[in-house]
Amino acid sequence: MTPAATFHVTGNERTTIEVLTDLGFEFGEPVATTTTLLDTFDGRLHRAGLRLQATESKRVELQLSGHHTTPAHVAVETPPRVPADLPPGPFRTRVAALTDVRALLPQLRISTRRSIGVLRDAAGKVVATAELHEGAQVVDRPGIGCPAPTLEIHEVPGYAKQTERALEALRAEGLEECESDRLTLCATAAGVELGGFIATATVPLDPSMVAIDGFRLVLANLATTIAANWQGTIDQTDPEFLHDLRIAVRRSRVVLANAKRVLPADILEQTRNQLAWLAALTSTPRDLDTYLLEWSKYTDPLGADVAPLLEPVRELLEQRRTDGHVELERGLRSERAATLMNSWQAWLTEPPASDALAARADRPLGRLVAQRIARAHGLLIERGRLIDPDTPAAQVHDLRKDAKKLRYLLECFGSLLPKGARKKYVKRLKALQDNLGEHQDAEVHVHMLRAVATELHEAGASADTMVAIGQLTERLDQQRHAARVEFAERFADYDNHATQHALDAMLDGIAE
Amino acid sequence: MKVLATYSIKGGVGKTTTAVNLAHEAAAAGARVLLWDLDPQGAATFFVRVKPSVKGGAERLVSSAGSLAASIRATDDPAVHIVPADFSLRHLDLELDDTKHPTRRLAELLVPVADRYDVALLDCAPGITLTSESVFDAADALIVPTIPTTLSERTLDQLTRFLAEQADAPTLLPFASMLDRRKRLQRDLVAHLMRDVPGFLQSAIPNASIIEQMGTQRAPVAIFAPTSAAATAFRNLWIEITERVWT
Repeated sequence: MTPAATFHVTGNERTTIEVLTDLGFEFGEPVATTTTLLDTFDGRLHRAGLRLQATESKRVELQLSGHHTTPAHVAVETPPRVPADLPPGPFRTRVAALTDVRALLPQLRISTRRSIGVLRDAAGKVVATAELHEGAQVVDRPGIGCPAPTLEIHEVPGYAKQTERALEALRAEGLEECESDRLTLCATAAGVELGGFIATATVPLDPSMVAIDGFRLVLANLATTIAANWQGTIDQTDPEFLHDLRIAVRRSRVVLANAKRVLPADILEQTRNQLAWLAALTSTPRDLDTYLLEWSKYTDPLGADVAPLLEPVRELLEQRRTDGHVELERGLRSERAATLMNSWQAWLTEPPASDALAARADRPLGRLVAQRIARAHGLLIERGRLIDPDTPAAQVHDLRKDAKKLRYLLECFGSLLPKGARKKYVKRLKALQDNLGEHQDAEVHVHMLRAVATELHEAGASADTMVAIGQLTERLDQQRHAARVEFAERFADYDNHATQHALDAMLDGIAE
Repeated sequence: MKVLATYSIKGGVGKTTTAVNLAHEAAAAGARVLLWDLDPQGAATFFVRVKPSVKGGAERLVSSAGSLAASIRATDDPAVHIVPADFSLRHLDLELDDTKHPTRRLAELLVPVADRYDVALLDCAPGITLTSESVFDAADALIVPTIPTTLSERTLDQLTRFLAEQADAPTLLPFASMLDRRKRLQRDLVAHLMRDVPGFLQSAIPNASIIEQMGTQRAPVAIFAPTSAAATAFRNLWIEITERVWT
């Protein structure tokens, strides 16, 4: 449970216990306890105001608690790595709703000697509890923990008066109240950010700063995201590590593509080439991660009879996904990858040599970014107008990439743009992107299925499976066709005065 | 939040012991549970050692939207909270009758606390009254303890026929309660109920002295006799209920 208050016990802790025993608290013997805080890499439970703690005893006692929620608990054999490891029921449902595909990772492991005190009323009902923690240490981090013992008072709902009485007695005794609870104190001491690592493209920027400084800040932030997700991608801890790494690589490439004459040409060229290699490595495993995660979304509409017939397809895609991850892992562990990241991060950290500055490096960032965004917008309009019902799918795909590049620019340099105006413009762009995304996803999956069908046919797959593949392909082809038919309307909604007005409103302030 | 109710037209069939033990089992399985004692005898309240006191009595409980939250007390299991009962609930029918939609009132009272719990377990007084009709409206399922006697089977039949005439009636989950396996007549009757009554659960709660000890221990059986047959029976009953209600 989340404590009502936590106190530093700087004097003799036995005296502190006596204050509470005078009020009627009964304390048990101290017991060595190890508790692990579990959360996703990006702290989704923390952001929802919840804590998932695993306390090791005969079994692992899991407790899900928060300031404004009734605590829940469940005993399991081993700490869960994903919500599916939890027993079915509301506990698992609540955790899974927050974590989605992310794994539950140990954020902090604390060992302590815990004495539990309870205050009971005349009927023997517990009306307040206290926990004295002595020697709280972060496991495997010698010397890191809470320097002084801490005393936590827990309120029992419906019995606030008894808790308040205990708090008053402790304050009267001169005990110093902590600003945060024991877990947060230990996390702070260990340098653990309970909010997790959140991959965001946006960094604080000023339109008047010189362009090279702004570009370097954006790229350094993206390099940090790539590095933070590197090991989780290799370990396949959960699919979001690869997703976040891939997006950070793609954003970096878009920023670099817009950094001509801002960054030194040699750095720009070399890094773009290396990041293109890294991006290519991530394509197959990420596409197949997504496809397999959403497998039931594609197969369920075909009916319960058809889905099992597609199992050979799923198995083949799973195999390809595994192969793709092996190749990706090899790449990420390679000398080439290490050199790329080391030299790139070193260049971003060190001040740039003044004699190597490119022609536009010292231009005001705001004006330059406004020009780049306007150009990307113009290109999207120009190429979009060339699309008609007979345009090859590859050209529509190129348009999707153009839209994505523009979106990445808006995200990476988002802090320069007025929030409201940016939101209005992005809303219009997103509607177009959704249509292009639906078309491209269906297109990619149809191609993938046709290739798989050929392979399975040659391997002697059953006629029923081949028919089921045909059904799925046809369904995806219909979706692709529907998206293509809808494109003209969606593009017309984007290519108009309202969008131009939204663009002008967004760029006006920073282009001056 | 799923709303379940332990209910029977007959009294003394094990409704309250079932409610208290199922609340414990639900919490042990990871649910946040609100046990609502609707019986003026306050036996569920007694079993969890909470003072039988409803602030402002039945009148305030029924009339004010936030009154339920104000009445909630934690039990010794942090995941189980209770709305205690007191003797004022003997007027619950009258108080409900004074509201605009009496049969919808209990459901309305639960709305403000719905995001704080996964399960609300209503322990009802016996009989078919206005309160029970309001329970039928609020509940997703009625858990009906059925003792192995012909009269009990008859009241179950009465309830089934009554609910069949209601729109959006809750799922009926009858189960054998207070079964004495030494008695062949009881064994045969329960076998018949499990086989022939649609929805009759396959878990049976034994007529065990350990359950009677709840009165002195003032705790669910699993707390003071975790390995007993009765504790296992309540655990199995909860598992069977979850399979019916959550799938």
